[in-house]
Amino acid sequence: MSDGLAIETADLRKRFDTTDALRGLNLRVPRGSIFAFLGRNGAGKTTTIKLLLGMARATSGQAHVLGLPAGDAAASVSIRRRTGFVDESKGLYDYMTVDAMIRFTAAFYPGWRPDHEKRYLQAFGLPRHQRIKTLSLGMRAKLALLLALCRGVELLVLDEPTVGLDPAASEEVLQAIVTHVSTESLTVFFSSHHLADVDQIADHIAIIDAGQTVVSGALDDLRGRYRRVQLVFAGEAPEIAFRAPGVVRVRRQGRVMTALSSAGSHALIEEAMRFGPVSADALPVTLKEIFLESVAQED
Amino acid sequence: MLWQKAWLETRGRFLGGLVLGAIVAFGAIYDFRAVERLLPVVRNIDPSALDTSGPVGAAIRQSLEAQQSFRGFVWWQWYRQNLTYLVVIFGALLGAGGLLAKSGSAALFTLSLPVSRTRLIGTRALVGLAQLLALAIVPSLVLPLLAPSIGESYSIVDVLAHGACMFIVGAVFFSLAALLSNEYTDAWRPVLIACVVAAAIGMLEYIPGIGQYGMFRVMNGESYYRQVGLPWVGLLVNAGIAAALLRTAAVNLAHRDF
Repeated sequence: MSDGLAIETADLRKRFDTTDALRGLNLRVPRGSIFAFLGRNGAGKTTTIKLLLGMARATSGQAHVLGLPAGDAAASVSIRRRTGFVDESKGLYDYMTVDAMIRFTAAFYPGWRPDHEKRYLQAFGLPRHQRIKTLSLGMRAKLALLLALCRGVELLVLDEPTVGLDPAASEEVLQAIVTHVSTESLTVFFSSHHLADVDQIADHIAIIDAGQTVVSGALDDLRGRYRRVQLVFAGEAPEIAFRAPGVVRVRRQGRVMTALSSAGSHALIEEAMRFGPVSADALPVTLKEIFLESVAQED
Repeated sequence: MLWQKAWLETRGRFLGGLVLGAIVAFGAIYDFRAVERLLPVVRNIDPSALDTSGPVGAAIRQSLEAQQSFRGFVWWQWYRQNLTYLVVIFGALLGAGGLLAKSGSAALFTLSLPVSRTRLIGTRALVGLAQLLALAIVPSLVLPLLAPSIGESYSIVDVLAHGACMFIVGAVFFSLAALLSNEYTDAWRPVLIACVVAAAIGMLEYIPGIGQYGMFRVMNGESYYRQVGLPWVGLLVNAGIAAALLRTAAVNLAHRDF
């Protein structure tokens, strides 16, 4: 495993009974990055996170977290000592108070940061003596985030950190993550359905579909490489099997052909020009378009 | 801190069992007054005149024989019946739950902590077994404490000896519920299954020839009561079964996907 990676998986597979949740997942999460892990429901995001943290066992393949093999039980304990985690349901012990939950969690982490604890308790307005059972979902999410941020760890793994939150609470959570990362040396690996969140805070992304990585890289680099090429023909758009590299998807509708390329537009336009389009335009694409085209079902 | 978590998750069941046990033990002592008044009548019954060939007849004969003295009454009413039921039910209740049920959606939070699953289940089991030991002994302390109030006495050594038997066999039902809790996300099915298993074993012990090797004879310390000594073989076998069930629960948990 490369020293520069916080997480690396190679041909990671997980089978549940008759369902393949992961089908050879390859991930490379650089240290120090804010890495967004995207995919549709059931794409395998949560399964991947569970494999990385030793909550489930891979059927085959390799997964390394912070240089340690995630599939090894003893190494997994070390990984978890160096990792903060917030799960999708924000499950915490309902019978504890906020304060008891914090004391409980702090006891497992020698690097626990009382300064952060004090700061986030105040910033999030968490009532120390209130039972967790009575907290709103927003408050639970903030407490779960506090418990992850104060561990003094190298890696934060957040499974849908803003799911179910109202826009204000969601913004507060995202801002806390960004502020925290700006002052601490750590990697954030988070899954999300909210592409706006990803656009706001991530610098690297991976999109998975049906248990496989379909797009991966630095977000700026992807934005630079992905182009939508729109070709308009005088008559019905012809069927073209492009040989240009990086063609993700081609759609035809009447006189218009739209092709998405992950390798710029030059080669694609050059090839298309041989078919005599009336016009050819290369347009930048949004993350949402990249996502939707990458996970779209084949027509 | 895992100790604290295990305690917080089980204290309701434990304290409930303790209070219920103390109330029943208290009631048993004062029941002896009523039984004592019947003793002259009972003593006039000729046991040989009873049909004791069947299990019910044998049980009636045993009951008549035992309840001639306070020690026998306590063994028959408290150890052979009330405390046995209490330890089986609360043993199963304390063993059930575990990582899946009581923690509910917090199971992933627990699994994200830097501790092994063996330590998670081990801590939970040790806390539960300590509570079970307390349930097997503490309510019975009412007996030596309050027996003088009705002009009787009861040995604390008897409390400890019977308590040890109760605890070791009760640990089998505790461990069975702990094992089943790896399979069910609710706490009630493991308890129900453990109690059904206990009832089935109890019924099997009515089959002539089987009863003398039965778990419940070990549990109520019959051989100790009859001054034959503690049922060491039975205690060892049951301790072995409980340990094997707990070990299986730990192995299952270690290999389980969440």
